[in-house]
Amino acid sequence: MASSSSTSGSGSAVTERRGIPGAQFVEDVQTYLTQSGLDVGSALAFLQERLQQYKVVEMKLLAQQRDLQAKIPDIEKCLDVVATLNAKKGTGEELIADFEVSEGIYSRARIEETDSVCLWLGANVMLEYSLEEATGLLQKNLDNARASLEVLIADLQFLRDQVTITQVTIARVYNWDVHQRRIQQALATTSQD
Amino acid sequence: MQQGGGSETEVTWEDQQNINKFGRLNNRFHELEDEIKIAKETNDNLEDASNELILTDEEVVRFQIGEVFAHVPKDEVENRIEQMKEVTSQKLEKHEEEKESVLAQMSELKKILYAKFNDSINLEED
Repeated sequence: MASSSSTSGSGSAVTERRGIPGAQFVEDVQTYLTQSGLDVGSALAFLQERLQQYKVVEMKLLAQQRDLQAKIPDIEKCLDVVATLNAKKGTGEELIADFEVSEGIYSRARIEETDSVCLWLGANVMLEYSLEEATGLLQKNLDNARASLEVLIADLQFLRDQVTITQVTIARVYNWDVHQRRIQQALATTSQD
Repeated sequence: MQQGGGSETEVTWEDQQNINKFGRLNNRFHELEDEIKIAKETNDNLEDASNELILTDEEVVRFQIGEVFAHVPKDEVENRIEQMKEVTSQKLEKHEEEKESVLAQMSELKKILYAKFNDSINLEED
């Protein structure tokens, strides 16, 4: 937090979120450097390192987001199939479907009226469920996946904000340093006259 | 972010928040562009599918449900495809609207930020 300045609104940054450290907003570069006791080089190095860490976390979160975004349509497809089986239930008709036996090879299956369906739960486990239970379970999985995705997206937004703050701080420290050097140079040349 | 020539324009927390918001909007804009592209493709595919359907004279069509192709009567397939087209068009419209809103907000923020920072900030696509 920018502790020394008493201006309002500056302390509103969150310090961290789910393990991601928040980037400290710098009100004034001079104060920041004095307080942290770092010279410009070390401050820049520290900020660059922070930026790298953020990038690593961003990669991880993006990968998780891609996985979830692939999982959600799969669950929707499963729900579709169970709904179709359910619709066929009252009619007494069988469902004829062509399915893939192996790559490029398809075969015809006749699915008679049924009350149950088997769901693959992962880890080589498959359980038989009634159509209602299957719909309930798939719907719950879908809702959980969507909720996780939302949390993930919020995490990514927070992370990107911290990255932006850090990048702006790096630019400001650098500019401040350039400014200082110019002032020193101007002083040096005037004192030489 | 472009590094300025050592000028001393102060960056307030409000400025920082505006910059953050611009970054977020920009990301959202790119995501929306991708989603719009996918939705348009899906729409085209559904159009092609319903055109093929009109041309075919078979009574039973193999319609993909999940990973299998179920034998479904032509009428039901027509209805299903109409439904899917509805859903996709609505999604496309929603995305286009959001894209307009995001672009408007971005140009507002550009005005504010360029007014304060002038050349010290670069908000264009690289």
